[in-house]
Order: sequence, then structure tokens, then C-alpha cells
Amino acid sequence: MSTDATTSAHSTLRSRGRRVEAARGVDVLFALTESDLRARYGRGPWQLVKWLVDPFALVGIYLLLVIFILRRPGEAPGVSLACAVIPFQLVMMTVVNSLGAVQLRSSIIRNMAFDRVLIPVSSALTETVAFGASFVLFAMMMAVYGVRPTLSLFWLPLAIVVTLVFSIACAYVASLIGLWFSDLRPFVLSFVRAMFFLAPGLVAIRDIGGRAAELVKLNPLTGLFESYRSIVLRGEAPRAWQLAFPLAWAVVLLVVALPLYVREQVQFAKVVE
Amino acid sequence: MKAGVAANGLGVQFFFDRQNRVVTPALARLRRRGSDLWGIRDVTFSIGPGEGVALLGANGTGKSTLLRAVAGVLPADAGGVETRGRVAALLSIDAGLMPTLTGRENGRLLGVLAGLSRRQARRSLAGIQERTALGDEFDHPVSSYSQGMRARLGFAVADQIVPDVLLLDEVHEAIDHDSRALVEERARAILRGGGILIAAGHDHTLLERLCNRALLLRGGRIVEDDDFGAVRRAYVGDSARTEG
Repeated sequence: MSTDATTSAHSTLRSRGRRVEAARGVDVLFALTESDLRARYGRGPWQLVKWLVDPFALVGIYLLLVIFILRRPGEAPGVSLACAVIPFQLVMMTVVNSLGAVQLRSSIIRNMAFDRVLIPVSSALTETVAFGASFVLFAMMMAVYGVRPTLSLFWLPLAIVVTLVFSIACAYVASLIGLWFSDLRPFVLSFVRAMFFLAPGLVAIRDIGGRAAELVKLNPLTGLFESYRSIVLRGEAPRAWQLAFPLAWAVVLLVVALPLYVREQVQFAKVVE
Repeated sequence: MKAGVAANGLGVQFFFDRQNRVVTPALARLRRRGSDLWGIRDVTFSIGPGEGVALLGANGTGKSTLLRAVAGVLPADAGGVETRGRVAALLSIDAGLMPTLTGRENGRLLGVLAGLSRRQARRSLAGIQERTALGDEFDHPVSSYSQGMRARLGFAVADQIVPDVLLLDEVHEAIDHDSRALVEERARAILRGGGILIAAGHDHTLLERLCNRALLLRGGRIVEDDDFGAVRRAYVGDSARTEG
């Protein structure tokens, strides 16, 4: 066989190997996510209710807060709050899930060799199902406040992808913290909740005055919330910074946490109980 | 592919923090003060096709750590271990089962993690249900199962990948007579087909029926590697001296 033919055969084998590996990764990811959904949310028709309780309750409580206590309802407050609460719920629930994700799977980690790098991704995907279900809230709030859907909704998939990427990045950090410093779990949850209030969660950024409006942009959640408000509430394309900031934060978190996680995951079976 | 397991200078190390909790090496470096311990050290052996090998030794001598390293669950911190062939491992009574999931859901998950595609794992479920004789319990959460039921399910799930190398860690000692006969039958079939069995436990009668060779571990090192009878005599002599 000539050198060219050998090289070509090797490259075909390599590419087939990569395809098989990718297909296997997808299978493992789906299996982990499916089992996580069952373990966390149970089975049957009540699943949907469990997914919707949190976002509906939060929007309801915050609505009371901004209308009657803060007296800063702004523009279509129900829709505006949904634009913050829905993406925040994905980030928050992914962090909650990831903090205990390795321990939850301790029985399989102690017994089987498999690619544990996928565990944080599966945590984010599990919560994405609930996130998807909570889009019902957008539809409801838009109907209540008479906000008409526009062509800008075509931007929504991009905002969803950025939210998911940011959540996955947070998932790697949270998984490591959950494993290394399990005593700090309550603090991590308080920190993430505080980030909601240090971003324009309750009131839109245009209702925040002065230097504070510039400072809150540093919070990655600000861009996420405002991109949903641009698309759903104002019927316009999101500004570049609204998606670029959270994406940049996601890249930074992944660059720091992913190599650490990859190095640590081989040691998981030693430390899980 | 011929089955084979070879370890060369294999060592697995554990790190502990000041509260004696096991931590990863990275965290141990960060926290500085703590201690370390080699679970197994300088372990060298080679197992060829058709060999059944028992791991003997008192509790805490490194049998489970060695099995986990062979299964690829624990990393080699020194030396290395090479395993050829598909590996099925039952390394604890819970057999990797997640208690909140049903038998069926566990079967699907563990099948995929063991190397099957999702479709293959789904197709194998009816066979697992039949072999485990769990009936309706197959759709109940594993947390409601007895130890024997868990071991039966764990073995059936592990067996669906048609392993070349079977690793058993005392699990076979927790199951009832019928299930034990099934495990023995499958282990013999694997050995007849040129596969490998490595089993750790304290039921020497059962181990002798399946294993022609044994390794005796003491303090994380192999101190005897011979035919089963000779190693068992050395172990029993060891224990008698310790008790005396």
C-alpha cells in the first residue's frame, strides 16, 4: 500500500473513531440526564407542576414587591420579572444541582469507569428541561400585559444558548466547590441569590440611574436578563454586550474550572462516600 | 481479543485532611496539613485468559482497592495496570445502583455507562427483568430492594455487556443460594470462553470452586502468588499467628 493510501486509511479510522466516541458521549450524557431528571423530579404528570412552581411563585412574590412595596412597577412588570426570573432559575438550579451532582452519583462513581467530565453538563441539561417548561410563564405574562410577540423572538434561541453555556460553566465551578468545600454549599447558594439582586432582576437596567447602571453590567446576569427583556418585552434584537458579557464570563469560568475538573475527576472514586 | 490483566508496580494513594476526611491530591496540596496512605503499593502480577484469581487477605489489606484499580475506577498513582477485554465489575453490595431510581431505570443507566448504546440498553431490559426474577419490583425504586435483590440486579446489568473480565468484591457472598449458583455458572462460562475472573472475599469454599490461583495481600502489597490451596494455607497460618 502506498504512503498516501496508508495515511488516508489512518485518517478515515481516526475520523470514524471520533464519531463513535462522540456518539458514545451523547449516549452517556442523555443517560445521566434522564436518570437525574427521575432522581430529582420524580415521575408522572406532577413533574411539570414541580418545574413550574418555582418560577411562578418567584414572579408572583417579586410582582408584589415591586408594585406594592418598592412602588417601581416600570413597563409590563410581570413580563419584565419573567425575563429575569426564568434565565436566573436555570443558572440557580444548575448550581444547586451541580453542588451535589458528584455525591448523588457516588454509587456509580465507586463502581464504574466512565467519563465523569459529562456530569456537570448533565446537571445543566436536567435543569434545562424545567427551564423550557417555564416558558409557559412568558406566554402567560405577555397575554396578561398585552405584549405582542414580534419577529425579534427569533433571537430567543441565541439567548437560550448563551444562558445554557453560562450555566454549564457555573456547573463546573459548583461541582468542584461541592466536592472540595462541601461546608460552603449554603454560602454558594446565598452568593448566587445575591447576584440576582446585584443585577437588574427586579427593575430593568433603564430604570436604574447613574453609575450603578454601568456597574451592574459587570454582573454576567445583567446581560442575560436584559437580552430577554430586549427580545420578549421590547420586541427588539438584543444588544451585543447583553450576550457578549455573559459569554465572556462563561469562557473565563470554563478556562479556569474545566482543566481542574478534568484533572480531579479521576480521583472522584476516592473521595465520594 | 484475548482477555488479560497486568499490573506493574501499581500503587494507589489516599490523602486525608486534618479531620481525616479523604481529599483529592490537589486539595491535599492546597490544605498542606494532613496525611497520606498507600492503599496498595508495588503490586505486580499478570493474569492470562481462562484464569480465575482470588484475592485473599484480612480486611483493609487492599483487596477492594486493587479490584477498583483494575476496573479503572481508581487511578494508578504509581506504576500502572493494563486490562484487555470488556470489564464487568461488581464492587459493592449496591452494585452501582442509584437508590432513587427503579430497577428498570438503573438497568438503562448502568447499561449505557458499561458501554452499550441507549438502544441496546433499552432492548436488554426485558432480559434483565427475566433473569433477576424481580417481576413488578423491577419498576419500584431500588431503595425498597433487599441486598440480595440489589446484588441480583447489579449482576444481571453487569452481565449484559458479555464481559471478558469479571471482577467480584464480596458481592457474591451477599446473595441467596439460587442467585449465587447463577453467578458461579456465569463466572465458569466466562472462564471457559477464555475470560478472566478476579474475586475477593472471605468465603473460601466458594472462591476455591471458581479460582485456581490466589494472591495474598498484606499491608497493600502482594506477599503470596500461587495456586489457591497454597495461598489459603499461608493466609490461614498468617491469621493464626496474628490471633496467637
